[in-house]
Amino acid sequence: MISLEGWWERSMHFLFPRETDAWLAVLRIGLGLQMVAYALFLRSDWHYLFASSGKGLVGREVGEAITSFDSLLIPKLGWLVALGRSVNLSEETVLSVAWACLLSAGCFLLLGLLCRPAAIVAWFLHLCAAESGGLLAYGADSFMTTALFYLMLSPLPDRYSFDHWVVKTKPKNPQLLGFWRRVLQLQLCFVYFIGGLAKCLGNGWWNGSNLWRSLIRPPFNLVPPDILVRFKYALPALGISICLLEVSYPVFIWMKKTRLVWLVCILAMHAAIGLLMGLYLFALVMIVLNLAAFGVPDTSTSAQTPSMSRDQ
Amino acid sequence: MSSKRIHAAWFGIHFFLITAVCLAGVFWLIAQGSTILPAICNEYARRGEIVATWCLGKEARGSNPIRRGIATYLHAAGIQAGYTFFAPNVPGHHRLSLELFYDDGRVEYESPRVRSRAAALRLESLLDRLAEERYEPVREALVKRLAFSVWREHPDVKKIRAVFGSVTPPGMTEFEHGKADTFQPMFSFDFSLRDEQKQ
Repeated sequence: MISLEGWWERSMHFLFPRETDAWLAVLRIGLGLQMVAYALFLRSDWHYLFASSGKGLVGREVGEAITSFDSLLIPKLGWLVALGRSVNLSEETVLSVAWACLLSAGCFLLLGLLCRPAAIVAWFLHLCAAESGGLLAYGADSFMTTALFYLMLSPLPDRYSFDHWVVKTKPKNPQLLGFWRRVLQLQLCFVYFIGGLAKCLGNGWWNGSNLWRSLIRPPFNLVPPDILVRFKYALPALGISICLLEVSYPVFIWMKKTRLVWLVCILAMHAAIGLLMGLYLFALVMIVLNLAAFGVPDTSTSAQTPSMSRDQ
Repeated sequence: MSSKRIHAAWFGIHFFLITAVCLAGVFWLIAQGSTILPAICNEYARRGEIVATWCLGKEARGSNPIRRGIATYLHAAGIQAGYTFFAPNVPGHHRLSLELFYDDGRVEYESPRVRSRAAALRLESLLDRLAEERYEPVREALVKRLAFSVWREHPDVKKIRAVFGSVTPPGMTEFEHGKADTFQPMFSFDFSLRDEQKQ
């Protein structure tokens, strides 16, 4: 019984460390930048990707039908279009408004203006787009949804936001700040461990062939194969390094002595993915998540503000 | 204290679901026999995958409220898919080639296009998914829509033949010996303005 209580105490201590809101500011600003980039990158194709059948690439109905097969309650752009239709707004107008709202939410997050509503709007609209896009979505969308989901639930606003400067909000509960940072940290540990484990199970990551294939595969083939061939002896070492870096992330990122090395290596890996493969949004969201989770110095011992039980 | 308990309970459920999603993804890869693990593991992995998907409610009927509730939460939190990108091996990519037949006998070759690079990544993602067995029921409808997106820019086309296939890139040594991509057609569809005929 005593050991169970001790275990519970240790778990609570681990889950609710005292933290300042510096990491939250990094997450908010980073995701604001991410949302702005997302909206601007898709500006020219927004209507083409999300218009209904006969107007767009494949029509969002297919994606929405596949999503509805999982659950009818998952948000989609079709809801907004139906809502717009009820007030005589055309589909095109609704899509334009949705895009403008996404961009605005990104700018608001960047500035820290109306942080919580901006985070909720960004999460909802991005989720609608990702689900309506359905088969057009890729890894970056999942990470953006997750990051915005956590941001929306975190104790906003942070002290670096415009909201705090204007309203002078009281300091947020340090244990709650610590809790949401723990969630983000553990999420990343899952991401890299599972990603690394799955890569370790493929022979192509041990001999460099997977790295070669991923870099010459359209549309990721930004580096000409002739140049890649010059580094053919480095590719196996790089492939193995990626596997080991990812699979050991949950161990070495927690140790103070190795944290900086692992963080720098992971950030370098994502920067390389962004620059060499053109996966800019994916790279940016992963860099933001890593910086917020482990890049901001751990303040768990220095934060001195009221405890959670008193604040709630 | 009650707030802490609520947060801790949410944390437990949330990470239980993430674990189930991730394990289902890894077990699926192993069960497919696409890993370096011996074939004897495949059957165990299949069973493991069933357990993991059961935890996610996917073994229940589609109308089951628990299944739908879990699915809604997973999508809302962006944790509906595991993190096995480019694993265990990087798959070949896919290509959709459209042959445009005009009334005067001309034939042109086109592919579905988007303007931005960000959208091109998404189109590529769609093409890769078309090859997956689970999307077989919607394959023809999707190819038809992609063909129609090109048709809108060439309204005088009489017929479109859509050929979908996988592209296998050369290995590094093969590339050094001058070998190029190989295209393996997987299926094709003929579409005309009045009717569609699957080949």
